Amino acid sequence: MRSEILRTDGVVKSFGGVKALKGVSIRVKEGSITMMIGPNGSGKTTLINVISGLYKPDDGKVFFNDKEITGLPPHEIYKLGLVRTFQIPQPFMKLTVLENLLVAYPDNPGEKFFGALRRGKWRKVEEKVVEKAFKILKLLKLDHLWDQQSYKLSGGQMKLLEVGRALMSDARLIMMDEPAAGVNPVLAHEIFRRFRELKDKLGVTFFLVEHRLEIALRYTDYVYAMANGVVVAEGVPETVMVNPQVIEAYLGG
Amino acid sequence: MIPLALTFIIDLLALLGIFIIISLSLNIEFGYAGIPNFGKLLAVAGGAFFIGAVPGRVLAYIYGLLKKYDYIDNNVEVMYALGKILGTNPFMSMAMLVVSLILAAAVGAILGFIASYPAIRLREDYLAITLLAMAEILRTIGYNYKDLIGGTVGISVPDPFRWIGGELRLALAASVIMAVAIIIFIYVELLSRSPIGRTLRAMRDNEVVAEAYGKDIVKLRMKTLMIGSAIGAIGGALYAFLSGSVTALGYDRVVYTFWPWVMVVIGGAANNFGVLLGATLFVTLRKLIIFYKSNLQPFLPFDVVWLEYLLLGTALLIVLIYRPEGIIPEKPTHTLGKKRLEKIKELVEAKEV
Ligand SMILES: Nc1ncnc2c1ncn2[C@@H]1O[C@H](COP(=O)(O)OP(=O)(O)OP(=O)(O)O)[C@@H](O)[C@H]1O
Ligand SMILES: [Mg+2]
Repeated sequence: MRSEILRTDGVVKSFGGVKALKGVSIRVKEGSITMMIGPNGSGKTTLINVISGLYKPDDGKVFFNDKEITGLPPHEIYKLGLVRTFQIPQPFMKLTVLENLLVAYPDNPGEKFFGALRRGKWRKVEEKVVEKAFKILKLLKLDHLWDQQSYKLSGGQMKLLEVGRALMSDARLIMMDEPAAGVNPVLAHEIFRRFRELKDKLGVTFFLVEHRLEIALRYTDYVYAMANGVVVAEGVPETVMVNPQVIEAYLGG
Repeated sequence: MIPLALTFIIDLLALLGIFIIISLSLNIEFGYAGIPNFGKLLAVAGGAFFIGAVPGRVLAYIYGLLKKYDYIDNNVEVMYALGKILGTNPFMSMAMLVVSLILAAAVGAILGFIASYPAIRLREDYLAITLLAMAEILRTIGYNYKDLIGGTVGISVPDPFRWIGGELRLALAASVIMAVAIIIFIYVELLSRSPIGRTLRAMRDNEVVAEAYGKDIVKLRMKTLMIGSAIGAIGGALYAFLSGSVTALGYDRVVYTFWPWVMVVIGGAANNFGVLLGATLFVTLRKLIIFYKSNLQPFLPFDVVWLEYLLLGTALLIVLIYRPEGIIPEKPTHTLGKKRLEKIKELVEAKEV
């Protein structure tokens, strides 16, 4: 029953002369927490950008739930149930912390120029969404800042907001680009525990890029290691972390 | 006899209502959705030109006047005949007004749709220039294509307010304009306090992220410009009815693009009350300057018209320097009201996660 939710086949992406991805094929099992590791500049973010539709690949294919999504616009990919966060936090600056989360909810009936006038029609949904948002804010310990415009947040808080927004989406696959960067270790552990909980309870799949292996590894089912735009190793964390190529990529050249 | 001061106020209110409508439409586009519409004139002129071109023709056709007269060349005769008919027929007058405004809004929406073509594809600065140019093109067409609205001489417009008679005409016109302005204010305010207002502001703050979170930016921009232009066209249409005639040259970018921009920026973008204040300050100040023109002239070493530009320019600079976000800056708009949100927060805090 554990089928694959995400698959890339030989994805290639260059920027001018820089070949960021040189034929990357990965498989992410549904209901897993899969992690992508690799040194700086190895192409992890680029891969997320290609999967989420921000970039079109030069070659190769992306499948989500066995449906090809290569080159679809990001908003359509999102609506299929795939959400991504940004490595450098990008909140909607003038919106409040709460509003940043509320925006992420898909298909709000009040999100129409005439539908907005029929309050009765969207009020119920909005209440439900607000409740969900406050639960997430509580988990992220941002609840006291709910009515604060988000440009006033610290870098770490913005990172948390980035995570919170993704959790609002009701997505089946959540891709996070370094969710723990800049977050204190205790909270980081709490967040990763929450990911596992969501995976166990709701079957949500996580595809994470993370440098803080000492925190993230123990929550991870499967690891891909990338270097120079190619996957150099994959497997359960125990085997990947002792793989010579991985050790060389991280420690060596 | 209506006293002079009252006439001044009624006149002011009529003009104010029109500029409230236009600046609110710009507020949707720029304040909320972040589209730098430097072609606001396009929609306003579109609405006004429609009023110059269509309602009179339709009425003239209905009442068989076109058999005798050419609508453009014998405009004076046609309008005289229509004036007599409408002047004694309040129902027909008001029906014409309502239908015309609705159709003008539709024309505006179409122009907005056309304007959205570059708005979807171009970067901000290029977009601003393109929209500006599109508005100029419409104006040039109106000026040179005589059959539309009489070209250089312009055209008269059937008067929907005449039936009430004499001095009350202006009062009726002002009331109608204000009523429309209030309805539009309520609409825009409801939008801003709803999920769509939030989504537009999100798109404005970060287009890439909004798109990654499922917002169809292309569609949103298109719809925003259609709604904004429809409202702008209503403003233009009302101005045409108020002034009784339409001349292409009368619709210039200073009045119908830059002034609304100043009103929005001074008052506070993405804050409808701010825009209301901006429009009120602007229109009142201008009216006062014009009203006291002759009193002011002896004290000025230059023509008094320049004083208007000088004062308004200075006001704009002061606001931009000391309150860059406008007199009443953008505020968080709570869809469910702050109390309700706090209540939900308490309920969530009380429960274990
Ligand atoms: N938009 C872009 N334009 C040009 N080059 C880019 C762009 N995005 C990525 N690159 C290049 O592609 C390569 C891979 O970058 P990427 O951001 O995917 O690395 P990463 O694995 O996410 O690194 P980090 O761990 O530092 O975040 C780098 O050499 C980078 O300079
Ligand atoms: Mg990266």
